[in-house]
This record gives sequence, C-alpha cells and structure tokens, in this order.
Amino acid sequence: MSDRKKRREISRREFLGKSAVGVTAITLSPVLMDLLLTSEGCKTGGKAAGGLIISEDVLKKAVGFLMAKGADFGDLYVEKAILGSIQSDDRKISTSSLIEKGVGVRAVKDGKTFYAYTASFEPDEIYQTARLVADAAVQGGPAGAGAGSIINLTRQSSNLTFPITPLPADRSVENKVELVKSLSDRAWSADARVVQATQFFREIIRWVNIATSSGKTIDQTLGLTEFYASTFMKDAQGNLQSSFDGRGAYAGRDFFTGDNSFANIVDTSVKRTKNLLEAVDSPRGVFPVVLAAGANGVIFHESCGHGMEADLVYKGSNFKDQLGKPTAAKGVTLIDDGTIPFLPGSFAFDDEGTPSQRTVLIEDGIQRNYLCDLVWAKKMGLQSTGSGRRQSFRFAPLPRMRNTYIDKGAVSPQDIVAATKRGIYVVDTSGGQVDVITGNFMMGVSEGYLIENGKITRPIKGATLSGMGVQALKSIDVIGNDLLIFPSPGRCGKFQTAPVGVGMPTTRVRSILVGGKGEAWEDKEGGAR
Amino acid sequence: MKEKKEYMDLALWAIERAKAAGADGAETYISDSESVQINVSERQVEQVQAVLDAGIGVRFLKDRKIAFGSSNDLSRDSVKSLIDDLSKKDVFHTPDEFNVLAGKESGLLDKDWSSDPDLISYDPQIGEAAIQDKIKSAIRLEVSGLDYSPKVKGAMYAVYQDGSSFVYFANSNGIAGWFPSAGVGGGIEFSAVEGNDQQSGSFSKTVTRFRDFNPDEIGRKAAENAVKMLGAKPIESCEVPMVVSPEIGTEMLSFIVYMLSADEIQKGKSLFAGKLGAKVGAASFTLIDDGRLKGGLGTRPVDGEGVPQQTTPLIVDGILKNFLYDCYTAKKGKVKSTGNRARGDYQSRGGIGTTNLYMKQGNVKPETIMAGISKGFYLTVALGLFAGIDPVSGDFSIPAAGFMIEKGKIAFPVRGISIGGNLFEFLNSVDKIGDDLTWFGSTACPTFSTKLIKIGGVSQKK
Repeated sequence: MSDRKKRREISRREFLGKSAVGVTAITLSPVLMDLLLTSEGCKTGGKAAGGLIISEDVLKKAVGFLMAKGADFGDLYVEKAILGSIQSDDRKISTSSLIEKGVGVRAVKDGKTFYAYTASFEPDEIYQTARLVADAAVQGGPAGAGAGSIINLTRQSSNLTFPITPLPADRSVENKVELVKSLSDRAWSADARVVQATQFFREIIRWVNIATSSGKTIDQTLGLTEFYASTFMKDAQGNLQSSFDGRGAYAGRDFFTGDNSFANIVDTSVKRTKNLLEAVDSPRGVFPVVLAAGANGVIFHESCGHGMEADLVYKGSNFKDQLGKPTAAKGVTLIDDGTIPFLPGSFAFDDEGTPSQRTVLIEDGIQRNYLCDLVWAKKMGLQSTGSGRRQSFRFAPLPRMRNTYIDKGAVSPQDIVAATKRGIYVVDTSGGQVDVITGNFMMGVSEGYLIENGKITRPIKGATLSGMGVQALKSIDVIGNDLLIFPSPGRCGKFQTAPVGVGMPTTRVRSILVGGKGEAWEDKEGGAR
Repeated sequence: MKEKKEYMDLALWAIERAKAAGADGAETYISDSESVQINVSERQVEQVQAVLDAGIGVRFLKDRKIAFGSSNDLSRDSVKSLIDDLSKKDVFHTPDEFNVLAGKESGLLDKDWSSDPDLISYDPQIGEAAIQDKIKSAIRLEVSGLDYSPKVKGAMYAVYQDGSSFVYFANSNGIAGWFPSAGVGGGIEFSAVEGNDQQSGSFSKTVTRFRDFNPDEIGRKAAENAVKMLGAKPIESCEVPMVVSPEIGTEMLSFIVYMLSADEIQKGKSLFAGKLGAKVGAASFTLIDDGRLKGGLGTRPVDGEGVPQQTTPLIVDGILKNFLYDCYTAKKGKVKSTGNRARGDYQSRGGIGTTNLYMKQGNVKPETIMAGISKGFYLTVALGLFAGIDPVSGDFSIPAAGFMIEKGKIAFPVRGISIGGNLFEFLNSVDKIGDDLTWFGSTACPTFSTKLIKIGGVSQKK
C-alpha cells in the first residue's frame, strides 16, 4: 500500500490483486552480484566478453522447436536479474535482495500470442517449454516433435552504450549503508517539524539475451539505479503533510550529481513538505496553468502517450485514425526517444530485439506515428518503433513508452510566467491516470504555486489537473526554450511495469480544469498575452 | 496443483541453515503458483500466458536485526548462498528491539493449516479446468458485452486471469505449515459510441470458486456501464448530496484503511493516531477486516508471518476500535498481532495489509436511497484516486463521472467534473447505507449516500 504515492499509475487492469509489480523488494548482495557479473563475463556489458547466458546452440535448437509447428514468428527471452535495495525508514536501516532468472518463450500465429516461461536454464526444460508453446500456437500443425528448419542466429550490435558506473558490485554494502544513513540524518535534521522520513536506494541489473525466429540474438545489460525520499512534517497546530522526490536512471551512482544528487532529492522532499504546511488551498476552475520544465512531462505521458500505443490505438483510443491530422496546437512536437543516455526508458534494443529509436509522434501539431511493437505494427500496417517492452522474462512484450517529451519552443520560461496574469505554476506532480477511450486524464500536483500578476507567489496544496488529452494539447499556447528530460523514478503500469522518462520545456496550457478546495476562479483576463 | 513435500522440507532445511550461519532466528516463505492469463480481442484470443512460478523468501534475524532476501532458484546451493549473503549483510542493519518473528505469544493455530475448509479459499477446479474451457470463458467475457448493444464498439482490454498458489512457511519458533489458495477473475473495459460521442465502461470481478465465475455477467455489466454513459455532459459547480456506488466505495475504503495501519499510526503518519475510542465516522458506519470470512478471497489460515488470521472490527458505529497489526507493530504497541502481515508472494518481505475488508451493509434498498434525494450526484467512476487523495491530510479532489439524480431518479450521465473534500469529514457525512454489499476482490462496500459534497463543474459561461 505504501507504494501508492510512488507509482506513476495504478491501473485498474491489475484486478486480480496478485499484481504484476515484480520489483517490490530488493537488495544487493556483493557475493551474488559477483557471481552474476564477474564470473560470467558481463562486467564489460556483456558485449565484449561474448558469453551468452545460455549457449547459442541451445538457443538455436529451442527456436527451432518453437517454429517447428508453423508459428509466424517467435522468440526466447533469457534473463538473469539481481535487485538490491537499502532503505532507511524511521531512521532504521534495512536491506533486501532479489535474484531472478528465467526464460520467456513466445510464439505468434495469426496475430495471436502464446507465452510461457521456465525458471530453469536446463536445455531440456527450455526445449520442453518451446515445444509446449509451439503446440499451443498451432493446434493441428505438423505432427511430431521435429526440430523444424534450422534458423541461424546472428549477434546484433548497436552503437548505443549505457555505461553503469560504478556497477553495484563495485561498492561495498557498508559504503551504501553509510550513504543512506547520511541522507537519513540530513532529512531528520532539516527541520524541527520533521516527524518521519524514508530514504530508499535501489540498484537493479538485468542481463538479457534474446533469440528470435528472424535470426537475431541480442545480448544486453539493462541497469537502473533509483533513489527516493519522503518526508512527513507536523506543525504546532497538528497539521500533517508529506512529500516525495526521487530519480531513476539507466546508469550507476555517478549519475546522481547536481540537481539529481541524493542530497538535493532529500532537500526537495523537505522543501515540498514545508511548502504544504504553509500552502493555501488550490483555486479551482478552468484557467491557465504554467507547467515547469521536466517532470511535468508525465502529464502528456498520461493524457496522450498511452492513447498513442499501437495496441490501444488499434482498439479505439481517442488517437485512432489521426495520422496526418492535427492532434495538438501548432508548434507542439511530441517525441518518444529510447536512445538518450542515462534515462530510465532507454535501451539499445527493445525486448523483442528491435533497435531502439527516436520516434516523432506529433510534429508541429500533426500526428505522425504511433508506438509499435512487432505484433501491433503488423496489425496496424506500420513498422515497429522499437517500443516492445517487458517487465521481465515473465511477460510477453507490449507497446510501451520510453522517454516521452514535448520538444522545446522559443520563449524564455521567465517570460511565460510574466505574461500570465493569474493561474497556477506546477513544478511536479504526484502521478495520475488516463481513460484512453474518452481521453479523460487526471494528475495530482505535488508542488505548485499561485501566479499572481505575472509572479510566482504562495505555495498551493490539493490541486489536481484534469481534462481531455487532445484538448490539453490543443490548448498549449506558449512553449519555453528550456527543454528538460527528467530521469523519473516512477514506473508506468499497463498489465506490467516499465521504467520511463518524461520531459518538457516550461509550457503554458491556456485553459485546463483545476480541482482544489480553494476559491472558484473564473478565467476572465487569464493569460492573454 | 499438488502439495510438494520437498518445498516444506526446504523451508525447514533453510531455517537450520540460517541457524548454522549464525542466525538467532529465521523465517522462510516459499510460494509455488500456477496461473493462466488470457487476453481476448475481436471475439478471438489475443494472448495466452500459462505460468508456473516458485521461489523462496528468507528473513534472517540476528542481534535484533532482520535482513530479507528472495530468489526463484530453489536449489539448495542457491538457497545456501542466499542465506550466507543475508548473514553478511545483516550486520549493517539497525538493531530494533521490536524486530521479532511470530511465536506462541502471537497465537497459534491449533491444527494443520490446510485442515479447516472454512479457513481455506481453494478450489482445485481453478487450476484443473481445461485451458480450452478457460479460453471459452475469456471469449464469453467480451462477446457478452459486444452482444449487449450495437453501440458497444470494442474492448480496450478483456482479460481472464486465474491463479492457484501453495504457500510453505516455517520459522525458528516452531511455527510451520502449508496451505493452498486460488482465485479466478475477469476484467474488461468497453467503448460505446453514438454519433461523435465515445464513452468507456468497465467491470471486473474475482471469485474463489470456479463455478461462481460468470464471464457473461462481467462482460454485460461493463457494456452496460459504457452505454449508460453515452450523452454524458459536465454540470455546473454545486454542493449536493452524493450516492456512492459499491465499486468506488471499495476504492475509497482502501484509502481509509491505509491510515488505520499500526505502522502508519506508530510512525506518526496517520491522523487517526491517538483517536482510539473516539468518534471518527457517522453512527451508521462500521468497517471490519475479516480474515476468517468463509470463501473470502483474502481468507487464509495464517498471515504472512504465520499468525492466525482473525476478525478485526476497526470502526464500529462510527467509533474507532482498533488498528491493523503485524508482530513488529504489536510488540511496539504492546498488543497482540491482528494477523495482518500481508505478503503477495516469496518476493515480498511483507507489510501491514487487509484480509477481507468490508463496510457493514444497512437495510435500505439502493433505489430507496436515491428516492430520498431531490437533487444529487451518483458517483460511479473516479479517476486516479491514488493521486487525488492525500493519504495524510485526507484532502481529496478527484475527477469523476456518474449520474445526476433529480427528483429521486437517475436523470442523465455526467462526465468532466471533480468532487472535492476530506476523507475524515467524508466518513462523518455518511448518511444512508444500502443492503447490497458487493465484493470486488477482497474488499466490499454497499451503496451509500453522503450529505453535501462539493462538485467542481465547468466554467459557468460554457
């Protein structure tokens, strides 16, 4: 339950309760990490050392079994993962670790996907799983358990590299515990009103091999380092408030400097909580909202990005049949890019072996593309955009966002605020949800301020933004020149979870529905420039 | 599925192994599960996933420090290396006098965990039913909705899911046993189209007996929900009584109960702290967590650390009676655990959670509740509750949809509005409670009404 505020999105789709959130608890074990990384040659990123998790001969044979009954295509997804976390909660340090391995086996026939996995790396177990999936996919296909045609596998290479420095195993547990302890002390001593604080540090390494029926093998190491901090404060009147800040990066600890430093994340969670204790209730109504650069990109991730994922487009999202048509205001360009160094939604190859790419979804207001994996690209008559992602070997791929952002404009952020007579200024949000059929979305505001006479003034609390994705995009009237793509700590949930980045420059949405407990504002003079 | 004796043996072996590695105490939790997920689209199968999953989670206790680790590699070599690793990391933990494993003082179940059918929610049929029958059920989910009305255009998702799980548990205080559980459910979201208007409607339900799984009902209700919303429009801002559907009611209850976790209370994170015995809700409001509910999705003989599950009245007739405890918070609070250590599977170290949570039903028909309202709002859809409710202050502002009630009847569908208020005030404003307690998974709520609620509508000039 405590993950509620941390997650970008909780989907009603996970209805059985045994949710798809596999990455719940962790910690790092140098011993096991060494086992995984050093002895198996993945310290160099897996590429140079050349050793696959499972030998190429076994993969080749398994792909043969998988295709023997006449599937259209198929793949094997071999994974070894280690997740390690160190947490300070209530000033108490604890660790947790998770070690996972398995092989996911998929066959696709006539657009239907059949999927199973085995936790075993024994060749016979893998062949058996491949045969089972092959049979399920093509009932009444050729009889017998023949190995089918031989598919030659070729290792794919990429110019994209994502160095993880340092690797989790390169630092001792003690060293990491000291780091988290010092950050805990920092939070508790920041203000006399602090009544509770949590700091959470997690490192994930996923070594992935993919073998496809189209003859490709992929060997890549995916990494994610995450840190977040939450702070609770109580004032003399008994008011209680809490706030959160965090980052997640496809990089090692060295990435966390400057604005992304651990200390800054702790300080921001403290500052936000202080703000809330002093905040006024957010005004409500339809009026201009200035969105600060960076993390607010999640608003467009929710309100638009999901509706552009090919499976949802195909099934009738409100972005269906919009290619070549205006879906945003002129000047708005929306990009989903999986190639940006350090960002959590980046990778060299997606989880079905397609090279990652920068995909322009909306160009100057016109819808240009959707996010496709192999299955949905075929159904839509489009090309895969390298957007087929999976949470782990336990899941079949789905079209997912990577790092989604609105491209920069020409106006300085100061000018945007100065030109807004009355509205709110949003720095960060606490997550949200979208109904892709109607396009209705909502976002909670975690740090926001009033804009009065062109100036940022008092902090606000309890604000939510909601509306229709397309209308929000069409209502953008000024775009700043300060694009910031944010290493978001959140996970996007859609049956399974995926790390994603979001971004945008400072941007004004001319009119959007703001919910809050404060006074009702009418948009009389608003932001007319 | 079948009981696997080797897993019970492994759980016990791991305890001994931990002791040999220097532990003062240890706990092992092995889950072994089978599940099937079928996605359907355009009256055909879109995806079939069949999954077997087993793994072990170990809590290693030494010098009042507990380290946790888990793995899906169940070879003894791997478990041994997991435990050795925990023994090395445990030293870096902060000692905490309340770190404890379950023992006699937390209460013991005086029989085999799997022996009392009333405490086991496990229907072997869920795992054993033929995959072809499951595929047929999954297709029924979508077809029943598509056939409900020509206005129903297609499903955004249509998913059948089942899961059967065997848990093997042991700790160094001599608590050990195993038990099975299973559930089967379906969820679907439709779009309905009329002219330029496109609306969504969803429904999902999970049950513990295969024969109770009714895909036709789930599909039809989702389709009904979508079609009923056609023609929805915003309304102007107002303050009116509100009727809450059981579906949204259960979602709101999960936020209220979050603040009733002893962990949140003891850490000063919940405004319910210090209010035991005080009036926190309307006199008609009673909230119960019942871990022994016969046939409940959350019914188990024991919780995630081996403590017998029990019935815990949390709020009775508006008075705060108890919080939810596990062994750690119980020791800290000098009380007994309420058996609420929740644990999803072997990967989870666990935390405080509910078992079967419900708001006690009243004796009024939902239609009678509506009939008493001359102008009001019927809440059936809420978006992003987790981002719209501040779990600390209880303040909420939630984009919502539903229906306008006029002269005691549903008048027209409403979308594009938000409801605002505070959960604590909301509890006190509960008015009439219906007799239609409805379960969604392991949480249930009847239809109920509240006194005035603030509705944020569109700009009045529009």
